[in-house]
Amino acid sequence: MKFLHIQNISKSFGQTKIFKHINLELEAGKTLSILGRSGCGKTTMLKTISGLIAPDEGDIFVAGIKINDLSPNLRNIVYLYQEDLLFPHLNVYENIAFGLKLKKMDNEVIDQKVHQMIIDLELEGQGDKMPNQISGGQRQRVSFGRAIIINPKLLLLDEPFGSLDVETRYNMQQLFKRLVAQYNITSLFVTHDLKEAFTMGDTMAYMKNGDLKVYPSKSSFVNDRSTGMQDEISFWNNIKMFDNG
Amino acid sequence: MPKFRKVTLLLYVVMIMFPFFYLFLLSLSAEWKFPDLTPNYFGIKNWQQIFSSQSGLGTSFITSLFISFFVALTSTSLGFYVSRYISYHPRRHTMSMLAYFPYVIAPVVFGACMIYFFLKMRLFGTLYGVILAQSFVAFPYALIFFTSFWGEKIQSYEQLVATLGGNVMQGFLKVTLPLAKGMLMICFFQTFLISWFEYGLTSIIGVGKVETLTIKVFLFIKESNFYFGALSCCLLILPPLFLIYLNKRYVFNKIL
Amino acid sequence: MKILESMLSKNSENKISLGLFFVLAILPVAAAFSYAVLYSFGVVGIANEGFTFRFWKEVLSTGEFIQSFGYSAAISAVSMVISISLALYLTIIFHKDFENKILSFIAYLPLSLPGVVAAFFGVQVLSKSGFFSRLSYKIGWTEDLSGFPDLINDQYAIGIIITFVSVVAPFFLLLFLNIYENEKVDELHKLANSLGADRRQSIWKVEIPILLHKSKKLISLYLIFLMGAYEIPLILGREAPQMLSVLIVRDLKQYDLTKISEGYVIAVIYSIVIGMITYFIFSRQKQVYA
Repeated sequence: MKFLHIQNISKSFGQTKIFKHINLELEAGKTLSILGRSGCGKTTMLKTISGLIAPDEGDIFVAGIKINDLSPNLRNIVYLYQEDLLFPHLNVYENIAFGLKLKKMDNEVIDQKVHQMIIDLELEGQGDKMPNQISGGQRQRVSFGRAIIINPKLLLLDEPFGSLDVETRYNMQQLFKRLVAQYNITSLFVTHDLKEAFTMGDTMAYMKNGDLKVYPSKSSFVNDRSTGMQDEISFWNNIKMFDNG
Repeated sequence: MPKFRKVTLLLYVVMIMFPFFYLFLLSLSAEWKFPDLTPNYFGIKNWQQIFSSQSGLGTSFITSLFISFFVALTSTSLGFYVSRYISYHPRRHTMSMLAYFPYVIAPVVFGACMIYFFLKMRLFGTLYGVILAQSFVAFPYALIFFTSFWGEKIQSYEQLVATLGGNVMQGFLKVTLPLAKGMLMICFFQTFLISWFEYGLTSIIGVGKVETLTIKVFLFIKESNFYFGALSCCLLILPPLFLIYLNKRYVFNKIL
Repeated sequence: MKILESMLSKNSENKISLGLFFVLAILPVAAAFSYAVLYSFGVVGIANEGFTFRFWKEVLSTGEFIQSFGYSAAISAVSMVISISLALYLTIIFHKDFENKILSFIAYLPLSLPGVVAAFFGVQVLSKSGFFSRLSYKIGWTEDLSGFPDLINDQYAIGIIITFVSVVAPFFLLLFLNIYENEKVDELHKLANSLGADRRQSIWKVEIPILLHKSKKLISLYLIFLMGAYEIPLILGREAPQMLSVLIVRDLKQYDLTKISEGYVIAVIYSIVIGMITYFIFSRQKQVYA
């Protein structure tokens, strides 16, 4: 069994099916990108995996252990929103340290880890600042740091860069890839941006109307017309032809 | 600024300030009969009577403070606790609507219909009876007030704390409570003022035995003792004026 | 907003919250209403002999209740119209001036005056021996006490309306100023100008509709509150007709035991009407969000 093994989970709210018979597997330290439009059920799926919503059926295994009955605070699976959700009453340092303080770690150890994380996040000198004193991109970095510093078994990212401008988004993508490699984080990265899905994941999946299709390779994702990748490639090729006259 | 605007604003300011000056002036007066525009006596002898047993104003002031403090404390804390349950409940719309009923029914009518029960509970005409009765109005207010707090954002914070490894108590103490601090303060002072200003319900359930400041105002009106009536009014106005000075939000709140 | 099931998963906490909600919010109103209904039908109460429609027939036939209801509704409506108009006027014309720290502070001062103080002040300035009467005498407009018009305890409820306005208008001024800022009405007004609207059109087609739309729930609530007001009509009102709360309490304190039952009839009708209006306000709100 792979590190993350999701077997046949389904969820409905009343008569409305949100997702059905989701199956996926992921090796430790890898990122699965999930491409999905708004309303396809991806947020509910992520919240189900994190334990914030109970599935109607199916099982979730992490490192070989079934975690269905485990409450969210015991799963060590962090769910990150598109919004950075920094605690407004805590500064950057305290936000990053939050999860470590919950574990009642030694203060010196916390201090060391947080300072290292601040350096990794390229936020030197910002430790004392309050969330409303830093930019959107910086806040998103703090949000990452806060999640990664507690060494989660699994990181669930729900369109984390959706609200950022193009340049900041690119920088965040690079930072994310560097940090997950450095800290060996296993993650599910959900996005509606085709290029981002292709760039961020080691493996890829496509979610539509509550159904998830996991691709064995990136090339199979590219070749599947329903993902939209072919249309995107054609678009850029046409531009190139136009430019060449 | 054009003349018309200046005059209108000046008129507005005068109309606002006039009651305060007049009541204060009246509280410092005696022997002010028709058709005099100024009193024959002007001094502090009325104010010196505040703590005398004859006027009973000092006792009323402290009684009102005690009642209002107690009502505010219980309504705010319980309202905060229960409002979370209502806000996350599938039938929260119906429950919120039900919470409005004690708030919209005239407290005095509500009190009049509750007399029988207060008699049975032996709380009729007692201090604790008045506190309980006022809480029946203040608690729903606090419930309605806090439903705007428990929105998606707070829910997201609670979820985030859970996935970061925090249990419910940790989430409450480290995140929810600090975020709610401002609203808790405002609700406390709002419910304090609901109780502080209350007359009808207090007169029905207290049946004259619990003499709050508002009761005193009425008593002095009945006795045609307008100087002490004005003095009671000044004492009545003091806490809200102080709160407005500290932070206007404590006193002004819109329940949308 | 999806309900977070695990947030409500602790059964014991849910039971406590539900229990408190029931005991402190639902039970008192339900008990009071039930008791009033039973008393109004003669089932309970001193000197009542069992179920009867007698008291209901009496109340509905004398017309005193209908008169009081109409009187209360009219006073409430007139007071609200004047208050809202004043508040709208001050907001639209002077909203920039209210950004001044001192004026902003002064605008909050009326919130420190409860109904009982407003009523007391109303007696002091509007009565025949009051401040305005003395002023009128000094100027020479009146020759004695009786020359001054009845402004309190009068048939047109002038004193009540003036006092209601003095309490309600300041609140709505603050509310409208708040909405004006939050909804960026100033920006919308400029936008309307750029679309060709003159000042008058902008006020009537943009500013006023926005302010009223955003405050309509509170306007409805205040209409209800004024209808059920007690202290102000108690001090400044007449013997007849009386506003609803004063009438109900007067009947409930009567020595004539029949009158007590009739008082409960009025209380029941009043509660049902208020309940229906509240339900109506809420059901319309639900439609907007659905």
